[in-house]
Amino acid sequence: MKKVVCMILAVAMMATLLVGCGGSSTPSTPDDGIIRVWVGEESAEFYQKVCNEYVAAHPDFGYTVEVKGMDTGSVAGTISNDPTAAADIYTVAHDNIGKLASTQCAKPITDEALIDQVLADNPESFQSVIYSTLNDKSYLYGVPYISQALFLYYNKAAVTEEEAQSFEGLQAAAQRAGTKAITVTGDDGFNMSFALLARKVSDHSTTVKIYEGAEAKSGGSKGVSNCQGDDTVAIVRWLQAFAADPNGFKWASSDGWDADLDKDNQGVLAVIGGAWHYNTAKAALGETNLGITVIPTFTLTAEATQGLTGVAAGDVYRGGTFADCKCFMINAYSAPGKYAKEQELIKYLSSKEVQNASYLECLNVPAYTGATDFIKQCYSDGKVTESQYNLAAMQVAMAEWGIPQPFITGTLNTYYYSKNAPSVFRAMIDQTAYPTTGDQILSETTSLEGIRRGLYLIEYLWMHGVTPDSFPASLPAQA
Amino acid sequence: MGSKVTKAPKIKANRLSFPERIGNAFSAFAKRFVDGSLGTKLSHFIFGAGNFYHKQYMKGFLFLLIQAGILALMIFCPSINGTPYGWKALQNLSLRNVSDGGDFDPLTGQFTSGSDCKLMVLFGFVTIAMIVIYFLVWNLNIASSYKSDMDRKVGKKPSTFREDLRDLLDGKFHVLMLTPTCIAATLFTILPTIFMIALAFTTYNQQDMNDLGTNLFHWNGLQNFRAVFTGEGSLGVEIHARFLPVLGWTFIWAIFATLTCYFGGIILALLINKKGLKGKKLFRTVFILTVAVPQFISLLAVRNLLGQYGPINSMLMDLGLTAAPIGFLGLNPSDSEMLAKVMVIIINMWVGIPYTMLMTSGILMNIPADLYEAARVDGASTVKMFFKITLPYVIFVTTPYLISSFIGNINSFNSIFLLTGGGPTYTGYQAGGTDLLVTWLYKVTIDQGSYNTGAVIGIFTFLITATITLITYRRSKAYNEEDTFQ
Repeated sequence: MKKVVCMILAVAMMATLLVGCGGSSTPSTPDDGIIRVWVGEESAEFYQKVCNEYVAAHPDFGYTVEVKGMDTGSVAGTISNDPTAAADIYTVAHDNIGKLASTQCAKPITDEALIDQVLADNPESFQSVIYSTLNDKSYLYGVPYISQALFLYYNKAAVTEEEAQSFEGLQAAAQRAGTKAITVTGDDGFNMSFALLARKVSDHSTTVKIYEGAEAKSGGSKGVSNCQGDDTVAIVRWLQAFAADPNGFKWASSDGWDADLDKDNQGVLAVIGGAWHYNTAKAALGETNLGITVIPTFTLTAEATQGLTGVAAGDVYRGGTFADCKCFMINAYSAPGKYAKEQELIKYLSSKEVQNASYLECLNVPAYTGATDFIKQCYSDGKVTESQYNLAAMQVAMAEWGIPQPFITGTLNTYYYSKNAPSVFRAMIDQTAYPTTGDQILSETTSLEGIRRGLYLIEYLWMHGVTPDSFPASLPAQA
Repeated sequence: MGSKVTKAPKIKANRLSFPERIGNAFSAFAKRFVDGSLGTKLSHFIFGAGNFYHKQYMKGFLFLLIQAGILALMIFCPSINGTPYGWKALQNLSLRNVSDGGDFDPLTGQFTSGSDCKLMVLFGFVTIAMIVIYFLVWNLNIASSYKSDMDRKVGKKPSTFREDLRDLLDGKFHVLMLTPTCIAATLFTILPTIFMIALAFTTYNQQDMNDLGTNLFHWNGLQNFRAVFTGEGSLGVEIHARFLPVLGWTFIWAIFATLTCYFGGIILALLINKKGLKGKKLFRTVFILTVAVPQFISLLAVRNLLGQYGPINSMLMDLGLTAAPIGFLGLNPSDSEMLAKVMVIIINMWVGIPYTMLMTSGILMNIPADLYEAARVDGASTVKMFFKITLPYVIFVTTPYLISSFIGNINSFNSIFLLTGGGPTYTGYQAGGTDLLVTWLYKVTIDQGSYNTGAVIGIFTFLITATITLITYRRSKAYNEEDTFQ
């Protein structure tokens, strides 16, 4: 009897193992009659609806479409890790195009009709960042359909509309409320663009350059980068002082920026964020208290400009942003048989009509040229609320103060985001060493010399992806 | 009175040296070839020939099938996802002659597929395993034929296939039972471990590969290990600066987490088992409830309780005891590392003590009552009885548990990752103040995609834990004096 029980157990164990083996294998390119699409979590329901409509209206399409909502901020990493498990069509911010193209996680767009639509509808700034190179040939990879830029959410119960126009105004409001003025949703290179890409209000100027003129080719020219201008030094000094002020800037707490912004906690009065934070911000403040405006201005102080040329105390700057687009891309591991239909579907999903409908239902700001007219019309027709209108209008307004992320190769994207330049910038704002333990590369970030070294380090990381062995004797110097 | 330990006599076997054993094996092998029948001689080249010679057709056929199968696999090199098995897999193991692929046909939407280095390494090792299996079966088939020769010599009839099967259910039942376990262990433990170790000697770093715009990696010898000591490479700086602090804290954590839970559990068990205590069952149930609730829910609940805007901080501030929230769990970079470390050890007691309590309760009930009675007759005090009877008994029985619990705590991912996330963080490093080797490993591999560095950290962790386990276990009474506690 014992032996029988043992054998049954052994057989059961082997069967379990075999079942386990069977389940773990992922077919790389199954053509199962379904085209899977990943879009932002906030728009999944809408795109499922329009896809169903499209399939119903085109009986010869031959595929059903399954739409799934994903966190578009992290989805590029998910795709890179296992492209065979990713959807046939996915959505990423355009700065991921180079990375996904160079690692062959994406197929180029080759459908002439779709390419014509992309070129006819989109502004040149977007057109310049959706190409990448494959075997020395330039291909269109991403199809823009949502435009996005950073702007300001603020608590209308504690901050007046006028105060929200400047960091100093926010600071005064924070002083009244006994709290901090402003925070950001993350300390990465994207969110910190509000400081690094700040522009002088009088002439829209900045000395910051990020991979300007870089080639859309892995291993090609990295273009020109500059992060050591006197205006940048002055901005860092101003932000250091603003962060050290009890009513100034703070990093989001461990409970999240929304917990800080929450009307009950009142940990902070304003947050710089994007449209994808709208629902969370609304939940934190409530519809009536939620104010939306452009990123405020700030005035350089005498301390910030001391010892610098090219900037003067009293100069007014506006916080900058990356003005980006979210794009549809086709998975390289998708079944070849689906390729034509995938492009057909993308052509429909990125059409002006669907982009407009997406704005009305999900508040996705359309990416096509001239979308502002449509947004204004919707507001005057009463189709959207004031805050929904502001959400789109402020992004469009911020686009004037921003640049698209120019990371058109995987290398540049990695260098900008993943090689610790954002950490160095954070260390500078906190006025600590970098790294904070171990071998001291940057022992202090408070003095003018320390700040110049920090900015040199950031520029060097952008260009080379590694820290320099030593600092040049005199700065600024080419990194 | 006390524990009397009888030492088992140590028998030192008259063992042959390694070269002698090798020599013996070879001479036995040669003897088998010389003494064997024609069938046995043939079975050196054709599997199952000996069995066919002895009319054991089924057995011979099975051996032949295995030989044909493995040889076909080696020669024809079937491929999965474009990566071949067989001799090509052995060739591919060098990770040379690899191609990025990527020629794109716009009409079909198809790329020419590039080499997949991960699969190449994996299939290379699988092929080596197949070769090992081939030789094991080769030896088995010769032995089987030779056994039949010997049976014939003594006038016995060679066993039939049915008799062999019956034998598997009787004399060789252990073989039948252990085979699935061995197969499973090879497939799911040994092969992945070898694969992981192999990665430590490669450039398999997803980030670096993205930088270069490639899916390929290659062997780089001991460079990753060197980086740990010299601080070179993409993560070398971090490993150089943070390895020792993380290792040190991992040990401190493991020691405190183990001992607090262990002695806390014993004390709680003693209290609950105390004679005359009312509501024993109720107490036991209450403490078991913490085991019944999934650990990660308990930990996340505590994390929320102690968060910046959590009820505990709100309460402290409302009562005017603190002006600003206390960073109990080091979730912000400016929070106290020491406080976070103390907090995780304390919180871990809550989830760990009930386990020890449960186990110790059982052990306490098993201590022979006559030991206590004899001690009481001899006039021993309660304290003396605890230190001379209860504690030695419990420690004797639970030493293996103590060791496994220590190792478990070295690899305690949940408690740290869910409570502090490794924080407070250090600017410029992945490893925070409360990160253990295992949570650091997670960040290095999952967040950074640096599988080669992760493998190096994994190997170091394994070496450390394996060494400690072996030393402590071999020196423990539970190992040396098994079944001798009296």
